[in-house]
Amino acid sequence: MRFSRSWLAEYVTLPESFEALANGLTGAGLAVEGSDHVGDDVLFEVDVTSNRADCMSHLGIAREVGALFGQTVEQPDLPTPGVIRIDANSWGSIEIEDPVGCPRYVGVVVRGIRVGTSPDWLKARLEAVGVRSINNVVDVTNFVLWEYGQPLHGFDADKLRGQKIVVRSARNGEALITLDGETRLLVPEILVIADGQEAVALAGIMGGRDSEVSEGTVNVLIESAHFQPTRVRNGAKALAMHTDASHRFERGSDPEACLEAALRAAGLIVDLCGGKLDPQVIDVRPDVTEPVEGEFSLEGLNAFAGVETDESFVVEHLGRLGFTLQRLFGDETAWNVQVPSWRRFDFEADPKGRVYPAYFYEEVLRMRGLDAIPSTLPAIEGPDPGLSLSHLRREELRNLLAACGLAETITYSFGSAGADSRFNGLAVGPPLELANALSEQYAFMQRSLLPNLVEGALYNLRRGAQSVQLFEFGHVFPASGSEVDSLGVILGGRLGSPWQRGLELDFFDLKGVLEMMARESGAELRFEPAALAGLIPGTAAEIHLARRGAADPVPIGYLGRVDEPESAVPLYAGEIRIEELGRGAPDEVTAPPRHPGVAVDLTLTHSLDTAWATLAVAIRELRPESLTDFEMTDRYCGEGVPAGAVNTTISFRYGAHDRSLTQDEVNEQHGRLAEALERRFKLGG
Amino acid sequence: MPDPPDLAQQREEFEREASAASDRAAWEALRLKWLGRKRGIVRGLLSQLGGLPPDERKDFGQAVNRLKNSVEARLEELDASLSARERTASTQSAALDVTLPGRPPRVGTAHPVSLVVREIVEIFAGLGFSVAEGPEVEDDFHNFEALNFPPDHPAREEQDTFFLRDGRLLRTHTSPVQIRTMVDRDPPIRVICPGRVYRKDNDLRHSPMFHQIEGLAVGKGITFGDLKGTLEAFVHRLFSEETGVRLRPSYFPFTEPSAEVDITCPFCSGSGCRVCSDTGWMEILGSGMVNPRVLERCGIDPSVYTGFAFGLGIDRVAMIRFGIPNIRLLFDSDERVLRQVRG
Ligand SMILES: [Zn+2]
Repeated sequence: MRFSRSWLAEYVTLPESFEALANGLTGAGLAVEGSDHVGDDVLFEVDVTSNRADCMSHLGIAREVGALFGQTVEQPDLPTPGVIRIDANSWGSIEIEDPVGCPRYVGVVVRGIRVGTSPDWLKARLEAVGVRSINNVVDVTNFVLWEYGQPLHGFDADKLRGQKIVVRSARNGEALITLDGETRLLVPEILVIADGQEAVALAGIMGGRDSEVSEGTVNVLIESAHFQPTRVRNGAKALAMHTDASHRFERGSDPEACLEAALRAAGLIVDLCGGKLDPQVIDVRPDVTEPVEGEFSLEGLNAFAGVETDESFVVEHLGRLGFTLQRLFGDETAWNVQVPSWRRFDFEADPKGRVYPAYFYEEVLRMRGLDAIPSTLPAIEGPDPGLSLSHLRREELRNLLAACGLAETITYSFGSAGADSRFNGLAVGPPLELANALSEQYAFMQRSLLPNLVEGALYNLRRGAQSVQLFEFGHVFPASGSEVDSLGVILGGRLGSPWQRGLELDFFDLKGVLEMMARESGAELRFEPAALAGLIPGTAAEIHLARRGAADPVPIGYLGRVDEPESAVPLYAGEIRIEELGRGAPDEVTAPPRHPGVAVDLTLTHSLDTAWATLAVAIRELRPESLTDFEMTDRYCGEGVPAGAVNTTISFRYGAHDRSLTQDEVNEQHGRLAEALERRFKLGG
Repeated sequence: MPDPPDLAQQREEFEREASAASDRAAWEALRLKWLGRKRGIVRGLLSQLGGLPPDERKDFGQAVNRLKNSVEARLEELDASLSARERTASTQSAALDVTLPGRPPRVGTAHPVSLVVREIVEIFAGLGFSVAEGPEVEDDFHNFEALNFPPDHPAREEQDTFFLRDGRLLRTHTSPVQIRTMVDRDPPIRVICPGRVYRKDNDLRHSPMFHQIEGLAVGKGITFGDLKGTLEAFVHRLFSEETGVRLRPSYFPFTEPSAEVDITCPFCSGSGCRVCSDTGWMEILGSGMVNPRVLERCGIDPSVYTGFAFGLGIDRVAMIRFGIPNIRLLFDSDERVLRQVRG
């Protein structure tokens, strides 16, 4: 919000340098975010937070400056009204049908004016804050808006039928052409100002075209009302409008400023446009506005802040800010405090209706400046709880995956319709749809991490990458119930040049990474072939996690080769829920055998239909007494191997814990095992 | 006593052959011919011993032994020189071009955002904070109401919320985790809450999904000075001891009083540059004392307990830390970017 230094100087003595002014305001919570020297003036931008509607005006800023620098604020001169009437005057009457939406409505009439152009000083003031000059009457209302922060509206009093103002809800189907020439269709959420017949203005938002002040206007009715913030907000929202007036009313205007602002405007109109103030001012105010109050003590303030503040500082500064302090009986340094009317929306009360002391502490501390508070560390009792399990688990897995050569990515949690139904996903039920998505591309919460990982892989491949290795931790979103903490991995392509002894990444590289993660957490994975959406048939498996000592393996995810015609290389991807991985204890270390064992290789030619798992089970069944270990070391299909068959080389290790085996013992045991395996599996043998 | 003439002849013959043996095969043949256990010449000579008259045996035997010794010595000498030649030959063929590229092990990387989270969590772990996490799809109560955003308040609009068709919303900050923590646990509480958050904003500087980390401490006698000290300790560890910290009063519905936290611009150390719009300062944190109404909503008595809370955008810190110019680069999955980052 823009302010003018020279305008401000009309109300309060400013510090010599602009920098001192800017630093003072910034330090008090009114951040000065930029300034322009224009002629003799400095125009500066203040970030007025939404709780400080009182500072959306020059007088409001002047009050802050006065408190900060110990200066008195000069209020503008106001004409003295003759009689204040509560519902009518010689012009006509004002009626409030909705006293909640409009707690106060002040109407002042100036008669016999001449509408024309504004004097240069007024044009300059408005130009300084970025408001276009229209005519002297409208300019005066805008000037007072930027002076008091109170939005005003000038009606051509003779265009109000029945010499009447009614503040009411709009009727369904009612329409109004606003000042900007737009025809607005109204609904009852909108509060309107009506004359004897129909709506003539949108309360707190914008006036109507037909009753506006124009060249021929002779008598003007100045409206200065207080509208309920929520009511204005709902109306503006329903009409998708946002104006200087609605901006202020939505944030809470000062109910006590209505009369002053109206008189200020009337006085200026008389000065600039001629005419005479109708001596009878109407001030309709159905209910009393209760003051906002609370209490606090100096002791409480000092304990809260961690720094001592003098009583005199508190009294002086809160006083200048408009607070009324009254010593509590029997306590010298505790006060009952009445909040000024212009801050009533900013100060929140406890269930008993008393303002929380923290709000008063804030006023004192922002006047002192937060630099005055010494830095300390909290003295909290009790042991530290340590880092959470899920965080540690993810950190460990992240380290492990990075050590395995994969790069972590982060992608959006939302995607297009059906993008995730391409895969099975880890979240069940229909996808959660956004009601106000940025675009169709980001309209649904993901139930699987794989669609974005596939996109990420393609992104890299299209830019010339020979291989991709990516992983992502993220939530996936079921229709109801807890979000699933997931890990997605994708890899594929040729890793490394021939010089680097490159390799083609495949299913087993992915599987190996997942197995290693499970092992680190003290568990094992089982892979069950399965037909899964988005994965090429025959390359996909469900993943089950088996924990030693636990009952049945639990399903935790799936993997396989992605059915992705766009990709130049085979892509392998998998997704698992990580909460199942746990942070299990790793295996205990076992001492290596003291007597080296004997390794014997066996190459078995068997049907491609015989799974390795079947061979492994058979070996475990047949397990010769001295067999300590075995491992699949090679697979070969091709020349010399019959069609439909494969050569599997298995390395067996034999040993005894208390002695070295003789070659004869090994030969005898291995011979029997080899013979049994060949009998069962050897193809064409 | 001179050698018998026939052995001198053999000696000469061996010398001749030994001088001609230039490789390992010839050496092996020579050894077999002269010292072979079955057909070796020395063996043959010894076997003649039995057929000699007893008085000649001694001399002949000694002569054969002398021959044997000198053959053995010569063969050993030949072996040594052959081995030396072989070693030289093999080291000559081992020579390589040391300027060829090494083979780096393929290591992966954590995401820049994860690295910053890790660093911040470690700093706060040292200050006694633990990590708390929560759902990203939230309800109005946890994201707004409990945080003292009144219905229809402009402060809500400022959050540009994504709503779901089922009436829930995507959390606009990680503050709901603070609420869940305060509802679940009794003070004292010290937690740090990292996570994804969402706001309806999409341009060069904003991404509709980004990351926040928030901290919360609630206990008896926690002061504004404690908030300040904690944030200073944090900033000094995350950036540097020289980094200046400035608190400015501000407004958030869930804290009272509230303060924005500026640090001296890490790009110009406070002298002013394009990044900080010549102010020398950079706003990185929002903070404040937990609003008494928020404590009350979570069942904590504000007349007994106080607390502070703060939050910062992780992505911004990651961009500063790694010199990443555009927030989109964080979410493109571009391995050329991701793999440059080292923790
Ligand atoms: Zn800078």
